[in-house]
Amino acid sequence: MKRLLGSSLFRRFWAIAGAVNIRTKVLGIVLGMVLLLGLAVTLQVRVALTRSFDAQLQDRGVSVTRDLAARATDLILVNDLYALHQLLQETLTNNRDVRYAFILDPQGQLLAHTFGAGFPRGLLAANSVDPTEHHHAVWLSTDEGRVWDIAVPIFDGRAGVARVGLSETGMRHAVDAVTGQLLLTTVFVSAIGIAAATVLTWILTRPIISLVQAAEAVAQGDFSQQLTRWANDEIGDLAEAFNAMSESLARAARERAERDQLRAQYVSGVIAAQEEERKRIARELHDGTGQLLTSLLLGLRAIEDAGDHAEVRQRAGELREMVAHTLTEVRNLALQLRPSALDDLGLTDALDHYIADCCRHYGLHIEFTAHGLDEQRLPPTVETALYRMVQEALTNVARHAQAQVASVLLERRGQEIVLIVEDNGQGFDPDAVNKRGQRLGLYGIRERAELLGGKMTIESAPGQGTSLFVTIPLNSQVVSAEYSGLSEARQR
Amino acid sequence: MRRLLWFVTLAIFLTGCRTDSSSNVIALSRLEPLPETVPAEVLPLRVAVAAVISPRGTIASYQPLLDYMSEKLHRPIELVQRRTYGEINDLVASGGVDIAFVCTGAYVVGSQQRGMDLLVAPQVNGEALYYSYLIVPADSPATGLNDLRDKVFAFTDPISTTGRLYPTSLVQALGETPETFFARTFFTYSHDKAIEAVANRVADGAAVDSLVYDFAVTRDPSLAQKVRIIHRSPPFGTPPVVVTPSIRPQLRAELQDLLLGLPDTPQGRAALAAIGVDRFVPVTDRDYDSVRQLVAQVGLGSVSPS
Repeated sequence: MKRLLGSSLFRRFWAIAGAVNIRTKVLGIVLGMVLLLGLAVTLQVRVALTRSFDAQLQDRGVSVTRDLAARATDLILVNDLYALHQLLQETLTNNRDVRYAFILDPQGQLLAHTFGAGFPRGLLAANSVDPTEHHHAVWLSTDEGRVWDIAVPIFDGRAGVARVGLSETGMRHAVDAVTGQLLLTTVFVSAIGIAAATVLTWILTRPIISLVQAAEAVAQGDFSQQLTRWANDEIGDLAEAFNAMSESLARAARERAERDQLRAQYVSGVIAAQEEERKRIARELHDGTGQLLTSLLLGLRAIEDAGDHAEVRQRAGELREMVAHTLTEVRNLALQLRPSALDDLGLTDALDHYIADCCRHYGLHIEFTAHGLDEQRLPPTVETALYRMVQEALTNVARHAQAQVASVLLERRGQEIVLIVEDNGQGFDPDAVNKRGQRLGLYGIRERAELLGGKMTIESAPGQGTSLFVTIPLNSQVVSAEYSGLSEARQR
Repeated sequence: MRRLLWFVTLAIFLTGCRTDSSSNVIALSRLEPLPETVPAEVLPLRVAVAAVISPRGTIASYQPLLDYMSEKLHRPIELVQRRTYGEINDLVASGGVDIAFVCTGAYVVGSQQRGMDLLVAPQVNGEALYYSYLIVPADSPATGLNDLRDKVFAFTDPISTTGRLYPTSLVQALGETPETFFARTFFTYSHDKAIEAVANRVADGAAVDSLVYDFAVTRDPSLAQKVRIIHRSPPFGTPPVVVTPSIRPQLRAELQDLLLGLPDTPQGRAALAAIGVDRFVPVTDRDYDSVRQLVAQVGLGSVSPS
């Protein structure tokens, strides 16, 4: 029940405290502390003052009464009642807190008092003192507030008793005045606290507000926001961290945009290449195969029209040669569309063939070495990717490197395939690749490697040749449908 | 609802500190007439003691004697004190007191006006005589009255023989008056206060009753170190005990017998010791002729009680 009440109180508190802004929170803390402290101190001072004043009032009352008793003794003994009355009046006049004073004779009869005509009922019996006592003090409740009534025996009680009443009114006024002063001080300090808290919250929230604005700008994609470090504190650190974050976000965004652009170029290149391929195949079919088939058709009609057997035989021989030629053409076409060597012979032999073609075609000296690939065939996707990457790399070498010698190394190292393509060409600065074709080629290689969970690195410098390293892990291959589609479309 | 409960609890807590448990409130501003004083059932014997010593000293010294008298007479005793000898003389003359211990000067003045009857007088050191001592502070260089010229002098009472009449007669013998001879004079209205005034150097000199002085020195020997006697007067009859002229003769005889018979009982002897007296003896008016002469010489008729 108690816990329930506590948690519900906390929830209510948090519902209020959590909903307001920092400025209000800080103001609340400052005001709360000042008011709490001020009120607690005021209360404490009030209690302590009242206690101390009570004791002081009693002490003063005792000394006034004893003084009165001492001075009254002879007056009582010689029956000088007028002087006694004067003495009581003096006591009343000279002591601000004394409300009344009176003298009783040993029989308890009133000898003199300060009330004038008459005497308050019940006052006489309200206090008494034993002759052996120093004094006897009691708090009396009167219609004028509390009164310390102090009784002191005169001349050991032989001359009677002196009674003096001290009102606490003066003391109450003093305590109230001090309380008022303290409350006023509290209000004054609260005002200062509000001013200080306003300045403080302005200092505190200014960087936070600019942080919020900057974060919103970053969310909108504007990375140009740079925050000023206002103070050398945690918020300053936050601003600096934010600046670092938005810088790296800007860099990442730039890189992503670059890659997106490259990918777009690559895709459009792929599509263009596909169209080109189709156009070429159409042309070849039309120009080459179509022509041959037309010639075949004409030859067959000539056989139809032939007069003798010898001419038919001759024509048939020509037609057979023509068909054989057409067959070769079609086979070449198919071979160009997809290297059946890769499927039939395996990666190593297919690359052997391809590199031999390249040497012939580009006039380059290319060394090819393969290690650890004889025992078992690699997954078809990896084989295709490696084949295409070598194709791409050697095309780049032939087109851009102006090299005489190149080497291709393909090696299986544990669960990794490593491909290294090197040339002794002019090299380039890898960070500033400008030529569109070369960039696209490299992008294609990287894309293929990364699709298989691998990576590509380039080591090159102007005049230093180029080394291209590709590693592809064998255990986790993620091959997307897009990849196979792309790889097939890329072929020439 | 719960908030209301909180406030109520807080209010009770705060006001609880201030409420007073005492129920009957005294109305200081509503005054009622005082109750009538009930008259005493038995009329007490009223005994006056002149302010030879201070009122408090008088109570301390005379209480055993008064108690003894109360017991013997089977009557309560009311001790009456007044500041001056003159007031006591008035009370004796008017019958306001029955019996009074007065000073010699006061007796002479009172008897002249037929206001008091002689009863007995105390005897100290075997004689019913006493003196006036001229005293100065112990370290004072004064050796006689001449050395006190232009000094502060303390008289006891205007009609005290030893405290006023005798030193005045000495000054007059020098052809001066106290007002011209001394720088300043004042009245202490009792002999023990005059001794204290000199001991505390409030006065440079004073004349005091030898009985009071000797008794005071006996009780407080350190006083002898503070005060020095530089002159002793010729003897006077001791301060008498007088009765009012209107007293019943039987009571007068009873009182005389009681006082004369004090040395016969232990309580009586203790009472005498308390006032520093050996015994009370019968005296005659002639024993006070030397004082009467002094009064005539100094001319205190003008200071006689009004």
